[in-house]
Amino acid sequence: MSDEGIGAFLNPAQMSKLNRLVLNSRYVVEGTLAGRHRSAQKGASTEFADHRSYMPGDDLKRIDWKVLGRTDKYYIRRYQDETNLRVYLLVDRSGSMNYTSGDHKTKFNYACTLAAAIGYVVLKARDAVGMYIYGEKMDAALPCKNSFNELNNSLKILQGYKPAKGTAGADVMHQIAETINRRAMVVIISDLLDDQPEIIKAIAHFRKNLHDVIVFHTLDPVELNLDLRRGAEFEDLETGERMIADPRAMAKEYKDLMGAFIEDYRKACSEMKVDYRLVKTDEPVDTFVRAYLEERKRLSR
Amino acid sequence: MLVFANPAFLWALTAAAIPLMLHMFQRRRTVVTPFPTLRFLKAAQKRSSSRVRFENFLLWLLRTLLLLTLGFAFALPVLRTTTTGGSWLSRTRRDVAIVLDASYSMNYELDRGKVFEICKDAAVGVIEGLFSGDRVCVYVAADTPVPIIEKPTTEHATVIQAIRALTCQPGTSKLDETVAIALRALEQQDGRREREVYILTDGQALPWQGFRDAAKNEAQTDDSKVKISREQRDKVSFFALLGGAQQPDNAYPADVKVSPSLMLLGQTARLNVRVGAIGTAKQITVAVDVGGQERGRRSVSADAGTETSVEFAIGGLEPGIHIAKITTPQDALPEDDDFQFLLRVRKQLPVLIAGPQEATRYLKAALAPGATDDSVRQIDVAELESIDLRDYQAVFLCDVFPVSGQAVMRVEEYAKNGGVVIVFPGDRADVAAYADMKILPAQPKGTEEIPVELAARPLKRIPNQKDQVVNFNLSLPPGSVPTVALKRIMTFNALQENSAVLITAGDDVPFMIGRAVGRGRVFMFGTGANRDWSSFPLTAFFLPVVHQLIRQGAGASVQPPHLALGATVPVNDAVPNYRDDDAIAMPSGAQLLIKDNGNREFFIENLTEPGIYTRTKAGAGQPEPVLAVNTDRFESRLTPATAEELTEWTGFKKFLTAKDPEELTRLIDEYRNGRSLAEVFLWIALFLALLEWWFANRALRTQTGATEKMTVDLAGKVVTS
Repeated sequence: MSDEGIGAFLNPAQMSKLNRLVLNSRYVVEGTLAGRHRSAQKGASTEFADHRSYMPGDDLKRIDWKVLGRTDKYYIRRYQDETNLRVYLLVDRSGSMNYTSGDHKTKFNYACTLAAAIGYVVLKARDAVGMYIYGEKMDAALPCKNSFNELNNSLKILQGYKPAKGTAGADVMHQIAETINRRAMVVIISDLLDDQPEIIKAIAHFRKNLHDVIVFHTLDPVELNLDLRRGAEFEDLETGERMIADPRAMAKEYKDLMGAFIEDYRKACSEMKVDYRLVKTDEPVDTFVRAYLEERKRLSR
Repeated sequence: MLVFANPAFLWALTAAAIPLMLHMFQRRRTVVTPFPTLRFLKAAQKRSSSRVRFENFLLWLLRTLLLLTLGFAFALPVLRTTTTGGSWLSRTRRDVAIVLDASYSMNYELDRGKVFEICKDAAVGVIEGLFSGDRVCVYVAADTPVPIIEKPTTEHATVIQAIRALTCQPGTSKLDETVAIALRALEQQDGRREREVYILTDGQALPWQGFRDAAKNEAQTDDSKVKISREQRDKVSFFALLGGAQQPDNAYPADVKVSPSLMLLGQTARLNVRVGAIGTAKQITVAVDVGGQERGRRSVSADAGTETSVEFAIGGLEPGIHIAKITTPQDALPEDDDFQFLLRVRKQLPVLIAGPQEATRYLKAALAPGATDDSVRQIDVAELESIDLRDYQAVFLCDVFPVSGQAVMRVEEYAKNGGVVIVFPGDRADVAAYADMKILPAQPKGTEEIPVELAARPLKRIPNQKDQVVNFNLSLPPGSVPTVALKRIMTFNALQENSAVLITAGDDVPFMIGRAVGRGRVFMFGTGANRDWSSFPLTAFFLPVVHQLIRQGAGASVQPPHLALGATVPVNDAVPNYRDDDAIAMPSGAQLLIKDNGNREFFIENLTEPGIYTRTKAGAGQPEPVLAVNTDRFESRLTPATAEELTEWTGFKKFLTAKDPEELTRLIDEYRNGRSLAEVFLWIALFLALLEWWFANRALRTQTGATEKMTVDLAGKVVTS
């Protein structure tokens, strides 16, 4: 397995598992190429969309003669355009992503692997994939391309980044939302440990721009249940702030707080019709992606 | 009083400060752990701080209590109940009295042996538990208290040896008297010692009866020897081992009555046997054995706690004294399974007639019509001095006065010992000659000649009066009126003590008077035995009256078939025709002690052995059975007394009772050394440790947070329950 690019994240076996999977958008998208996804444009596919009044300059071939015969009016038959999917992967490299509680990957590494897997699936479906990497600021904006080479390059660039010190997730997301000018799919891979209302607003911004948004809320199992046996001096990965605490004494309160935090995101996403998924870093990426995509496919039927 | 056997360990109580010290001086050497969600930790800490503080306080309290409890446990706390046990710095010397119940019920067989042996072992255990300077005395409670080691001694080995040699007594026991004597023995020692009395018994109520009665009549008891003072009840420590069966089971023959009391050859003896049973209701096979041969066997249903009667008829007994026995099947208490008694069968009632030929002719002819009848012997007056009157059931004195002093004395002794003396007056002496014989029912006053026209007199039997000692019963055919023709009649002075007029001639002339003398009877007629005085010897009533007198007198002097152990009786009540040169042997072979009260009235002071007693007459070679002695069967009822009852009856202030030797040992240990609370403290410490462990880990086990209630499926979908 190569140490760079997609090979650094996925081995052939994992890629083989992902081969036949497809990431479908639940909404219409605007691509640049013809593809399998419904486009916002009317085009030349075989799938009838609607009629509209004939206007000078329209191709005479598109006049619906049967309607003319019945109504004595000229109508043009319009067909659904089908285009390719543009998927933007937003990978968070904030300080809090640099955490692992055990032998498994850090959240950032897991996010990278997840991005590679999603990118691979997207490219295999001949769709385009782009990537945004952000920490305390926008670190890299890699354009949407329908090429494995471009994905490889993007992953190489991602590989070169380490988790940052702080985070500015909400601001960067707003910035990205402004950048993506046509309807696309936005996949956010982050622990979302930022100002929660702002993050929700940023996600809403994507939705406002009619993007199909998927949130992979990536968390370590210990973050969820505070399953630590010993008291320790805890240091915040982003602020450097320290506190001495006995995790056992406060486990219940912590779990309640974390539960409420996740629930808030889940509800907000549900209201915005954003696909919210909680990803635990001790779970194999390929297993998760396969399960997720199959469920998504089943639900889209 | 709480004291500590190991007070040096009280320093360990300072360990209770360890949790606080650890908390205060703990150096927080914590590992720095990077964590992404510190803000949640901070918020959680803020939320949980009050709860955590409370839990930490509880944990501190638990840990402090745990260490305190452990410290106390290692200091060996002891709860002492005694107030005279000395301080915890020194040991008190003791004077100990052991009172061992030796009644026959102590032979009850339990699974672990006889109760008496168990009590002996317990007594040895008590002594072995004493220290070298402690003194001990031993008393056995039997029918009378028996001192084994009279004065408290420090020679424990000797005392143990004496206890080992003890055997159970056949009788009952009186614990109150024995305890009183034991207390006196303790009191005679110096008073600086602690006094303890150990009463080792089977837990029956009967031996304690004296305490119960004394409690009722405390003010009336004067005998200081058998009285336990209030001070003794309050100050002395009493321990009782009630080692008998809790639910005893026993069957026993309780008593036998033989009728007729005077049995002649050819008569059938009827036995009324009372059989007692305790425990469960059962069928009891009762057997009668006469002379080593079984003569009857009956099965009776006996309810628990009751006595049942069963009848036997024994016929075909030869003249003589037969040793008989009632037996019940062997049980846990074999001592009371036999009941012995004697059956005395007489061939005839031998009669002696003393007096001149002319005065005795009609009497002899009436009593012995056949010339070969050897049951009637006629002697001259002079022979009264030499003949052994014991061989005769009745002695007729016909016109014998005046008699020698020796003869008077022998006749009087004979009567007092149960003989029947029938006196007919005669012409040989005046009334003054009768004064020598003191046993007559009344002294004659004179003689009265009866005119012919007043001669015919109907004989009237005077009905027996209330409290009349001497009686006379004669059944006559209905309508028959015996009448005699009197020629002369003797008149009498006032009746003597225990005398009564039995027959009158006419309405008010005494014809026959009688007197109870000792165990015998003396009858005196107002007329002579020949026809010089009246036609009485010629009437049809003469013979029945005389026969009845012989029988009645003989019946009155019959000895009982059995006596109770421990009885004190006049010897003539127990032994027929006893003479002071008779030798009476107890079942063990030892001579029975017979005392003279100084008036030649002999009595048996105490029948100490159950079984058959034999008499050897002076000059005779073969001993004959004369007495059958049985233990009374009150002990056989085995009525258990509860510890509460005993406490109430005895009034002992410090009174501890145990059901078995192990419990007694524990009570003694607790009493002398106090009750160790170390184990209790260790159990509390264990409980506190478990509580601390549970409490400290409670959060991990039970507190489920919101994230644990979430379900995240493989595809990352969150479902909140």
